Amino acid sequence: MIELSQYLIVAAALFSLGIIGLFLNRKNVINILMCIELMLLAVNINLVAFSHYRHDLSGQIFVFFVLTVAAAEVAVGLAILVAYYRTRRSVETEDINSLQG
Amino acid sequence: MANVTFPFPFPDHLFALMPEIFVAVIAMALLLFDLFIDKDKKAITAYIAIATSVMAAVLSVQAMMPTSVSAFYGFFVLDHFAVLAKVLICVGTAFGMILSIDYMKKEANIGEYYVLMLFSMLGMMLMVSATNFIIMYLGLELMALCVYVLVGYQRDVLRSNEAALKYFILGALSSCMLLYGITFFYGVTGSFDFATIGTALADVDANAHTAVMLGMVFIIAGLGFKVSMAPFHMWTPDAYEGAPTPVTAFMSIAPKVAGFAIFIRILVDAMPSLQHEYTTILTGMAVLTMAIGNLAAIAQRNIKRLLAYSTIGHVGFIMLGLIAANADGYAGVMVYMAIYLFMNMGVFAIIILMRRDGIQGELLDDFAGLSRVRPGYALAMGLLMFSLAGIPFLGGFWAKYVVFMAAVEAGHLYLVLYALLFSAVGAFYYIRVVKYIYFDEEKVAFNFTDSRLMQATIVLMTIATVALGIYPDPLIDLCKQAVVGLI
Repeated sequence: MIELSQYLIVAAALFSLGIIGLFLNRKNVINILMCIELMLLAVNINLVAFSHYRHDLSGQIFVFFVLTVAAAEVAVGLAILVAYYRTRRSVETEDINSLQG
Repeated sequence: MANVTFPFPFPDHLFALMPEIFVAVIAMALLLFDLFIDKDKKAITAYIAIATSVMAAVLSVQAMMPTSVSAFYGFFVLDHFAVLAKVLICVGTAFGMILSIDYMKKEANIGEYYVLMLFSMLGMMLMVSATNFIIMYLGLELMALCVYVLVGYQRDVLRSNEAALKYFILGALSSCMLLYGITFFYGVTGSFDFATIGTALADVDANAHTAVMLGMVFIIAGLGFKVSMAPFHMWTPDAYEGAPTPVTAFMSIAPKVAGFAIFIRILVDAMPSLQHEYTTILTGMAVLTMAIGNLAAIAQRNIKRLLAYSTIGHVGFIMLGLIAANADGYAGVMVYMAIYLFMNMGVFAIIILMRRDGIQGELLDDFAGLSRVRPGYALAMGLLMFSLAGIPFLGGFWAKYVVFMAAVEAGHLYLVLYALLFSAVGAFYYIRVVKYIYFDEEKVAFNFTDSRLMQATIVLMTIATVALGIYPDPLIDLCKQAVVGLI
């Protein structure tokens, strides 16, 4: 029997990996988008685990909304990234430095 | 199968949602209609969008009932507080559009720009009426996704793209944190409804304490990102500088109003039993926000960046209203946002006029000697800057006065003294702008392409700021009445 706490630990680990990846990532903006997805997945695991544990469906319904919005978010994010690549000719994180101060 | 009842008390619910439905329908129709308009007549789209925002404000007031109305099984509430926030959001969006007409004229596909603004406004309107984390999240994302695109609207300008990218990454991160916090509240209470969570959290057993604290911290962090509270403010300067100036004006007002309104609703409805904990966290953040905003602004040479840090500073002052956690404090937040709307829109209108002959006109040096060429604009800019600094008997003074007094009443005297100190620091860089305008020699020749619309906006905003400085009572009373039903 898998307990609630074990799901929560997995989700917490995924979420932390996402945040760490976001801040330590020195290579590529695509990685950042993947880290954001990872964090949203952690949220979904949390929601489903709590929903099952509490015998309450609203958590699982929220998961659908989160998934949908995540898809829209990635679409917008990739569109912005493509526009950025067209002017800058790079998606390296180090090159995002024209605004400073 | 005989007794299938339609579980939808149809007209009442739709009536409460009228302004939102109106905006959604017009925005979608406008997206289609825009395709049939000639390229050189795109201003029509802009005027329709402006009219829609104004109508949405009117409809929000029309839909208001003497008491608060709950619709769609308690997912949506229409109370005086929501209506006040919606009116501010719609007015802010309308002025954002008015400032865009000249500035964005040369952009390709400009029709979509106004539709995006309308959708973003729709998201904010849903957000301030939400009584449930699901609706709040959907409204928030509708707003945020549109604003990311608006920030990057100048697709061939590198800094616009870069600003959009940075804003998107940090915005998405903040949404994740907010969601992660919400999951813990759901786990502990089994509900997404603010009021249910509020009651359930009041007598939660001790071993769920960690989960509740985690949830609270993540929710405050996620919302703090959206209203640019330190230490979650890093996106603000970059996004403000890189975005097209009218978008900067828009995003310095409307999303902030929506963010603070939903922040208040969550604190009041969902976390009343955690008041001690959240005031402690918010106090720490406010101390940091005021210091970072006001100190970093001193070093800025670009006025959009300066105003970004100035916004962070103002957010620090507004947070005093949240920390006070009483009716006067929440009313103060709304008073502050209303007055800030007029001041900031006026300032950004003048900044837009400074763009000339291939220069952006955003450096402080570009303002040098303005008073000799256009004394009218110089006077308006001077008054607005003094008002932002909080010089007595201009609008900005009363904005600060109301939140500071509320915080003193709630017993946060030292925090208010600290805020006064940084308010004085802030006055330094605002007055330095006035120095550039009045006492420096002209460095880049002025060449104004101002339209009547921009002039009218500047005059209107300046008059409103001065008038609210002389006679702020109606606004303060209005905001105090609006928060009565909230607590």
